Amino acid sequence: MKKLKMSIMVSCALVMLSFVLMSFVQEKKPWDVPAKYQSMKNPQAADDAEMIKIGKMNYARHCKSCHGNIGKGDGPKARSIDADLGDFTSAEFQAQKDGVIYYQSFVGRDDMPNFEKKIPDDEDRWAIVTYLRTLKK
Amino acid sequence: MKKIVYLIVLVLLSGHFAMAQEEAPVEKKVDKPVRAPWESGTLVNHQTSITQYKNTLEMVISHRFGPVENGISDVFGIMAPGANIRIGFNYSILDNLSVGFGTNSQKKYQDFQAKYTPFQQTRENTIPVSLTLYGNAAIDGREDAAFGVDYAFSDRLSYFSEVIVGRKVNDWLSVQASANFTHYNSVDSLLDNDKIGLGFGGRIKFSPQSSLTLELGVPLKIESISQHTSFTNHPKPHFSIGYEVSTSTHAFQIFVTNGLGILAQELYMYNTNEFDSKSIRFGFNITRLWNF
Repeated sequence: MKKLKMSIMVSCALVMLSFVLMSFVQEKKPWDVPAKYQSMKNPQAADDAEMIKIGKMNYARHCKSCHGNIGKGDGPKARSIDADLGDFTSAEFQAQKDGVIYYQSFVGRDDMPNFEKKIPDDEDRWAIVTYLRTLKK
Repeated sequence: MKKIVYLIVLVLLSGHFAMAQEEAPVEKKVDKPVRAPWESGTLVNHQTSITQYKNTLEMVISHRFGPVENGISDVFGIMAPGANIRIGFNYSILDNLSVGFGTNSQKKYQDFQAKYTPFQQTRENTIPVSLTLYGNAAIDGREDAAFGVDYAFSDRLSYFSEVIVGRKVNDWLSVQASANFTHYNSVDSLLDNDKIGLGFGGRIKFSPQSSLTLELGVPLKIESISQHTSFTNHPKPHFSIGYEVSTSTHAFQIFVTNGLGILAQELYMYNTNEFDSKSIRFGFNITRLWNF
């Protein structure tokens, strides 16, 4: 009987501990990307040097302060942001469809602000996507 | 037999549709405005061709420290009295039209301004330069006694208008030139009420976010518009050299200049400082944007 009591108490303690630990682990919230964006394709060629240059310029201006020099999510503002900034060099990020990256980058959600008004030209937005593809490891 | 006739009609029609599609007018490619010819709406003291996108609120904080003449004793003017500060807000009603208001510590100027860019330089050079029109009206907010005898409210008013032509030459170089007209309703008896000037500006971009900026404003001696036989206390040209860094919503400009004024009419009418090792001063502009 004493053993049973002990094991129940230990189990309860473990359950409580796991809850406490889980609260510290940041849950990766999946992106709910509308179908319209899922099917979008980047109209620019992956090796379009002019667009890569424009994308790099716009990345430096709009994205670098949070996402870092090469997209590792380690920019100077990153420390003050709770959200997962991702790693643009990772296979996981690069495996995403063009339209999904477009949605994440310019429509955004929560801490990731909307950039549609700051970058109104669609060509400039796709140039950033084209540049992000070059960050692949 | 009927089936064959239907088939022939169908084939002929499909051919007709195919031809119609081929003949459809090709969509005309729009030549878009050139990308970011300048980092913000101001270069140092002059305006640039940039008007922010429609429904954008722009806050501009401008600061001019004292002259560097006292050296380390007042940290090269940074701790000197008599600094000039202005805070202004501009709102873009259209992509190429903005209106604004600013308040200035120097002479307690309260200014209202409008900027319009009727056409911008395009990427394919269909339009090779941008054209910008800028105008402001300022109210001198000092005590009545500052305006001498026979004071009237209109004595407080001054105006500045400018036509700016600019071009982004390539990815790292942008230049502009402007012609401007300054009018003060009330000036000292030996000065002219009107002044015509020329402005020149340039930006040399040396990294995706950083640039070197240069600016020159020259008040002209034009006898035909002068009210006097000789020019007394003719204002000196103002020259500025600075460093500019910009992000998505901010532009930071730090520079050395010989003008205390922030409002252009003040510089073109009253700047008496030379660009020398005693009279130059540090200054900065900070721009913050909000999109609505």
